[in-house]
Amino acid sequence: MRRMLFLILFELKKILNRKKALLFLLALNIVPLVASLALIVAYVKFKGFGFGEVQFSVLHEIVKGLFTAHFKLFAFIAPFFLALVVGDSFSTELSRGYMKMLLLTPVRRWQVITAKTLAIMLFLLLAVCLGGFFLQADLLVARSLTQASGVLPANALPDALNIDISKPLYLVSTSSAFQLLVLTFVGNLMLIGFFIVFALFFESAILMSFTSLSALMGVHTFYLIASSLLNKIDVWYESAAKWCFTRHLDELFSVNTIETILENRGNLLTDNIFTAWQSSLGWAVLFYAIAVLLFSRRQILH
Amino acid sequence: MNAEMSAITVNRLCKNFGRKQVLKGLDFSVPLNTIAGFLGPNGAGKTTTMRMLLGLIPGIDGEITMLGQTMPGGRTIALEEIGAVVENPAFIESMSAYENLYWFGSLYKPLTDQRIFEVIEMVGLKEAARQRFGTFSTGMKQRLGVAFGILHRPKLLILDEPTSGMDPAGRVHMREILTRIHDEEKTSIFLSSHLLDEVQRLCNYVVIIDNGRCVKQGYVSELLSGHSEKWEIRVVDEDAAKTRELLAAMHEAVIDINQGPRGLVISLQTGKSAEVNSGLIKAGVRVVALIPLEASLEETFIKLTGNGVSVGGGA
Repeated sequence: MRRMLFLILFELKKILNRKKALLFLLALNIVPLVASLALIVAYVKFKGFGFGEVQFSVLHEIVKGLFTAHFKLFAFIAPFFLALVVGDSFSTELSRGYMKMLLLTPVRRWQVITAKTLAIMLFLLLAVCLGGFFLQADLLVARSLTQASGVLPANALPDALNIDISKPLYLVSTSSAFQLLVLTFVGNLMLIGFFIVFALFFESAILMSFTSLSALMGVHTFYLIASSLLNKIDVWYESAAKWCFTRHLDELFSVNTIETILENRGNLLTDNIFTAWQSSLGWAVLFYAIAVLLFSRRQILH
Repeated sequence: MNAEMSAITVNRLCKNFGRKQVLKGLDFSVPLNTIAGFLGPNGAGKTTTMRMLLGLIPGIDGEITMLGQTMPGGRTIALEEIGAVVENPAFIESMSAYENLYWFGSLYKPLTDQRIFEVIEMVGLKEAARQRFGTFSTGMKQRLGVAFGILHRPKLLILDEPTSGMDPAGRVHMREILTRIHDEEKTSIFLSSHLLDEVQRLCNYVVIIDNGRCVKQGYVSELLSGHSEKWEIRVVDEDAAKTRELLAAMHEAVIDINQGPRGLVISLQTGKSAEVNSGLIKAGVRVVALIPLEASLEETFIKLTGNGVSVGGGA
């Protein structure tokens, strides 16, 4: 157990040690980074045009929109970076011989795969939380800006105009945040599993990313084109498509799903969200099992 | 566990790469408390055997027992007592020697900083402890590999060509380090090499394989006894012809006489050198030097592996 924990930490350290990791963090958090800038610009512009004070509720809407955009963009570009990170953790380590050194110690092969997966998940969690915290900070800044502005001191007037009480100060409730994390976790677990299976066949991270992403897009395009045609032939195809790999990626990360959860209109157990993350979990387990099976038979010759 | 437990026992080990049969029923065993050399021409299957011992190649056809544990079931338990480096040690380039040892070594068992620095000092890398691994020379990399192997005080250290790519001074240093590890930490060492003189100087046990089979194994002293010794005799130039005649007459001691570059090279029955020397001196030959040529293991090796051509490799 202690060895396993240590292995996870070691993998996380290796990921963070790479220069790519910094790029990854920046790219995934581009929305929050731009958001804070946009917020200030918007505030100054509105004021400059003589609209007077901007209500907090307006800024709140902006930040909230950005938060949804952050999630959507994160879901959209994460696979590209995930492929690279997985490629580095497996393909590059196999070709450079790090994997050999790792397997000379008394760790088991499934432990290596599990530790690497968990380390990548932790890294992803760090990335998504960074953006979330950034946007939350934006919201707090927005509030203090709108509060502090005005000709009169903020406490001199009842500032019901400035602060829209109906708007909560926090972007997400704890339960929505938790649910979004579960969705992100499951969706990305499936993707990581998918990439690991590919990574075990390639010794170049770039080649592996290219191939696996092409495969992913191919499957997805097929699903988009074929499913609408096929379900005209037989309803059976519709139910089959329900368990399709990319369909659930799509559903898990769609703006609809995210908004439903953010606005507390639904939760993890709502029908279409439930099937989506349930089948994603199924796929994740399948990919993980294939990866462990392949890896335990793999000859380490570098 | 009995007292006569061997460090490594291999029975009927086979391995194919595609259609090529690399190991064809390999059998050998290495006793504990030895420095054992694993010899063989290039392509004989040394590295493959080591990879199979350590589980880097899964799916064993045959039997492997290490420190009383049967592979692959007992791999994890056995590896806790084994330190190993196969081929070139591949540590993480962007991390320092200390960090690499800390992170990789802690996968064996928790380590203290004191132990890490003790090991770093033992292999002579004290000055480079905080230096990035990527900037290391070949010799330093190999030494760090050995350091990684002994961090957790294993009972058995398995090394694959620990001196490959090193200069002569580096090889001497490596031999000193390995001898020290064997003496101070009571670690058995199993190392593969095709540098015969090195194995002869360092090891007290050898396993010689060729073409996927074990052709000879045993203690070096046993292997060499009963075999002829080679000596080079240098005499004052005027006495050369006379020496040759005298030697030719000593049938019971001298097996063979050849002209070497700077003197005569003779093969003697083991232990007859003193007799030959005194015979020459009594006859009035001014012997300048009598130099032992320690090529015996090489001869044994070439004789056993059949051809001398494939031996040259990295020598």
